[in-house]
Amino acid sequence: MRNRLKIERAILDITQEELAKKIGVSRQTINSIEKNRYVPSTILALKIARVFNKSVDEIFELEEGD
Amino acid sequence: MANLKSIAACEQRKIDKLKKYQLPNTFKKIGIIIAVFSFVLLMINGFFIDNLIIREATKYTLLIGMLIISISKEKIEDERIAQLRMQSYTVAFIAGVILALFQPFANILVDFLLGASEPAMKDTGDFVTLWTLLSVQLFYFELLKYRNR
Repeated sequence: MRNRLKIERAILDITQEELAKKIGVSRQTINSIEKNRYVPSTILALKIARVFNKSVDEIFELEEGD
Repeated sequence: MANLKSIAACEQRKIDKLKKYQLPNTFKKIGIIIAVFSFVLLMINGFFIDNLIIREATKYTLLIGMLIISISKEKIEDERIAQLRMQSYTVAFIAGVILALFQPFANILVDFLLGASEPAMKDTGDFVTLWTLLSVQLFYFELLKYRNR
């Protein structure tokens, strides 16, 4: 699964730490999601989407083979 | 959207269930102190004192300390940490079972190689099995956290 988390974060000009605090996870979790090492749960994906005021599928996108 | 919310609520309940059996993060330090103190005392007893009661008591407190570390929450216990924790428990469980199954045969092999007259099939002790379970879990959990920084 691809994601636009880093781009969306750059648009809002917030750090991984700030985003992590907003949604109640650790900075390492945000880093893992950005590097595609961790696929977030639905609840976390919804929380992330709400921070950026977008829908989940505008941030997360399925890849071929998913 | 309503469907997504019900999925999200179901996931949240799953995470909350896992957290229910955990101690607050402050207990981790207490566990480390108990485990380190017990280990040092176990070593001192082993090398210098050789007292049976001290040996058995420190073995218990070492396991208790390690268990407290194992079930204490991280500073931020999120879903990724919960997943890594479950991975580490799985690996520890498999390692523990493998040890319990194969250690008696390894004992026979060692006895044979050392030239013992009657190699005996000894069971793996409770302490060794529990120590292996806990140490593999703690080590693998820290390794996973390090690799997924």
